Amino acid sequence: MDWDPDTQAMLKVAAGDKQAFAWLFDRHHASVARFAFRFVGDAARAEELTQDIFVKLYRHARSYKPTAKFKTFLFRVATNHCLNEMRRGEYRVARLTAEAPAEEDVGAMRMPGPEGDRPDQALSGRELEAAVGLALKDLSDRERAAFTMCRFEGMAYRDIAEALEASEAAVKSLIHRATLAVARRIEALQAGTVPARSRA
Amino acid sequence: MSCAFEEDLTAWVDGELPPPHRARVEAHLGTCAECQGTERLLRLTVARMAELPAFTPSPSARRELLARVDALPPTWRERFAHLLRPGVLVPSAGLAAAVVLTLLVAGRTRVESPSLEEWDPGALEVAANLELVEDYEVLGLNSSEDLEVVENLHELGVP
Repeated sequence: MDWDPDTQAMLKVAAGDKQAFAWLFDRHHASVARFAFRFVGDAARAEELTQDIFVKLYRHARSYKPTAKFKTFLFRVATNHCLNEMRRGEYRVARLTAEAPAEEDVGAMRMPGPEGDRPDQALSGRELEAAVGLALKDLSDRERAAFTMCRFEGMAYRDIAEALEASEAAVKSLIHRATLAVARRIEALQAGTVPARSRA
Repeated sequence: MSCAFEEDLTAWVDGELPPPHRARVEAHLGTCAECQGTERLLRLTVARMAELPAFTPSPSARRELLARVDALPPTWRERFAHLLRPGVLVPSAGLAAAVVLTLLVAGRTRVESPSLEEWDPGALEVAANLELVEDYEVLGLNSSEDLEVVENLHELGVP
């Protein structure tokens, strides 16, 4: 059977080929790192998670079955690993208290410029980053995972469903809720109001 | 949720709705001002995600990862595969074959050895007394038959 290059490389990794593993890392580690960064909101932790995810990929290469796209399989590993990390209570507390900006800080970032409050121009890159970070923080883990794969990796709903082991209908709902929450957060920041958190 | 179509709007913006479903949403959008506003907001938000700064991983990530992989302890499969390498397998197989061959030869020797009853009584007497002396000359081996008995003593297999 003709496999795509990623799958071929993964099958070589399963046979112990470290060069094939390095090749896969070169191709995909930036995507995994971006995903981890958006998932946990911390650059150093995202680097660690990315390393862990690829080590896990290497160790479990022999159990890989080329029935799905390699990237889907990779993001399933990445999502599960990040979810496990997020479920570790001490890490979640640390992230929420130390890494994300406080609501009032984000509100204070808003400095309306001469262009006024036009929604498409009012936020600086830093403000936008902070607003998105806060919105992602308030999402459920699965909403955050689905949103990140969709918005930052451009993955199709079907592939996201496979990565999350969920139905496409569920993914459609997750992405809608997440996108709307981010949209409302940006909208509120632009309006100079701080919305109530959607979740405790 | 204020409108039954609202949850479909993001999938519609993302081009993820199947054609019949898409047509229904488009028809609804033409009549629902609230959904029109939500659709604009969603579309703007999706576009703004591209403005976020890209996260760039550390350039040392590859080297660090490969070092971690190299330091991993071997799995049992890798250990087993190591044992099957020709450099290990051939000498081991040769040794095993030699042991098996030796056992077979020894077994055959025992099977083919005659029982004590079949031996000549004179030969048995020589054999029985051989352990008492270290010099064969004292036995007064004069005949060729006696010499032959001594030469084949090892085949007796019994003291």
